[in-house]
Amino acid sequence: MNLRSTTLLFACTAAAVAVAGTGAFAQDRVVKIAGFNGKTGVGRSFGLNAEAAMFAAADTINRSGGVKLGDGARGRIEVTFYDDRCNAEEGISVIRRVASGDAVVAIGPGCSNVAEPLYGILQKKVGDASDSGLQMPVFTDGAIKVGLARISEWAFRNVPNEQEMYKALFAWLRAEHPDLQTVYGGVEEDFAHSRSTWYAVMKERAKEAGFEVKGETKWLLADTNFATQVRELKAAKADIVALAAHPFTACGVLKEMRRQSVKPKVIVGLTSASSLETLRGCAAQAEGTYIPTSYAPVTKEASAAAEATARFNGNADLHSMGAWENVYIIKQVIESEGVLAKPDTVAADRRKIRDGLAKLKETDGLLGKSVRTPDREAIKPFVFVQASAGHWKVAHTPAR
Amino acid sequence: MWALELLQAVFDGLLFGATYAVIGIGFTLIFGVMHKINMAYAAASLAGAYAALLILQFVQAPALVVFLLAGVAGGALGLVIYLCCFRFMPLAAPLAPLMATIGMLMLIDEAIVHATEGMPLPYPALFDDVMLQLGEFTLRGDLLLVFGVSIACMGLMLALLYRTRLGLATRAVAQQPVAAQLCGVRLTRVNALTFVLTGLFGGIAGAMIGASVGTLSPLLILPVTIKGLIITVIGGLGSIPGAIVAGLLVGACENLFQFLRGVTERDIYVMLLLFVFLVFRPGGIFTPGRGRD
Repeated sequence: MNLRSTTLLFACTAAAVAVAGTGAFAQDRVVKIAGFNGKTGVGRSFGLNAEAAMFAAADTINRSGGVKLGDGARGRIEVTFYDDRCNAEEGISVIRRVASGDAVVAIGPGCSNVAEPLYGILQKKVGDASDSGLQMPVFTDGAIKVGLARISEWAFRNVPNEQEMYKALFAWLRAEHPDLQTVYGGVEEDFAHSRSTWYAVMKERAKEAGFEVKGETKWLLADTNFATQVRELKAAKADIVALAAHPFTACGVLKEMRRQSVKPKVIVGLTSASSLETLRGCAAQAEGTYIPTSYAPVTKEASAAAEATARFNGNADLHSMGAWENVYIIKQVIESEGVLAKPDTVAADRRKIRDGLAKLKETDGLLGKSVRTPDREAIKPFVFVQASAGHWKVAHTPAR
Repeated sequence: MWALELLQAVFDGLLFGATYAVIGIGFTLIFGVMHKINMAYAAASLAGAYAALLILQFVQAPALVVFLLAGVAGGALGLVIYLCCFRFMPLAAPLAPLMATIGMLMLIDEAIVHATEGMPLPYPALFDDVMLQLGEFTLRGDLLLVFGVSIACMGLMLALLYRTRLGLATRAVAQQPVAAQLCGVRLTRVNALTFVLTGLFGGIAGAMIGASVGTLSPLLILPVTIKGLIITVIGGLGSIPGAIVAGLLVGACENLFQFLRGVTERDIYVMLLLFVFLVFRPGGIFTPGRGRD
């Protein structure tokens, strides 16, 4: 062996020892996590972004030594991502498939119309022998419709709490603009999230803040002509127009508002519309719109998560960053509950993760600490963003 | 005031209905010539409109160029659909092309979703900020343009059908394909050209829909397909004047029902309209009424 080969061998050995010291070589077991969201159909961008965020979070964790298991071994997180097509039947089929495999937890779905029936096939009460529902912890990152986790004790959510967000937003608008008196709504009537957000959240929180709600106009998710609705909106002459609509129809309405010269003093949007889609579709017409969101790159962690997700070809927004946070919360629970990640401990590991998630009172999020509620929901920190020159800019950070 | 608002709503719908009419003509013409339904027609029309957006990736093209490119792309897609779903399908199995075009509809839909990640894309428009004010009555400049272009497309298509040799051959194939072949008409060529022509007009109609909405989204594919089929039935399978009138009628009725009964009931009444036609006038608007037997 010549000197050059010896040097090379020595260098490789030294590098291997050094890497092993950081834990990267010690990841001798695999912790399987299933992710699912819509990657087909019009919700594809949600699925792609959530998938990228989960892969990025797992990659970041694995690079920094993986996860510590109950017997002291190190584990590597492996994410398998499924497409539920934002369709209830498909989502149920995915969760059944995941439950029959060796994943210890499922992160998803992104659509409320999937989450609601899917939670329905989980065991309602933990330990109820008479209930043959699936015993699989599901930690939802995207489906945002109010109050869903109470359906099953195996269901957990880390989604923005719209009740808190719009309560704070309308209270802030009241304080900042005392001259504003009236609110008029526009709602995507056939979409679960938009509908529930207007009727159960925006409308009630606006009244609570002292605004007079003058009514609402309605349209459907695939509508293309909003002239009649905008005329109703114009006739209402409200100070604030609140649009409970996703980007496609929100942009259609905003464009029609401009055509008909409808200029309310303030426009409020749906949480899900604080995305790139809205800015791509109608940045000029959305200018000035306020939306509460649980993600903005305002902290070092939030910016780093966005960069890591971008490396996996995903965009950071309030939905995808929920998936990122969930992977980190699962890591924390695995370590605190002593999950073993062995082939014969899958059922026990799932139970440990469920119990661990149920125990949490607080979790670390990208914008700060999130509070966990007894009904397995989260109250996440949030900011108000405003569309400004083609970007979402933070307009206000509410005090917590 | 109420009457004016009603009139305004109906007129808006009528203008928008012009795009439905062009889509309806495509459906009906293919049926007229081949006696088969092309379920992928509306999807291909919108795909043509999407494809035209590609040019904007390279140069800053005016809206008119985008509209024309949409027509070219629509025509090319029409030919692809003909080759994939009709040309080599056995004549004895009428369900085969129907199922093939349903498959093509899904394929085009998913291809658009994959290419755009399902995100709505802004579509260039002309006169989208222009509003013509006639007292209390307003007219959208872009919808007037859409109406004008759609009417021009219809006129051009009628001229092609009734004033050219190709149109004569097309009508001959539609009426008596065997006799047309005996007279020297090349059936395959006429069928292929019918698909290219309807695809071309469909692409322009897709662009008009994009221009009037201001955005293109895969969400539009299914509703436009359903409307195209409704118009084809109401107008009468194979009747071009019927498709024109039915398109405008459905557009106006949609807005009328929405104004009177709200958006959640709107489509119920449009479907009821279809049902009424199927029962009392199954041949469509321009055929004499006949009994159910």
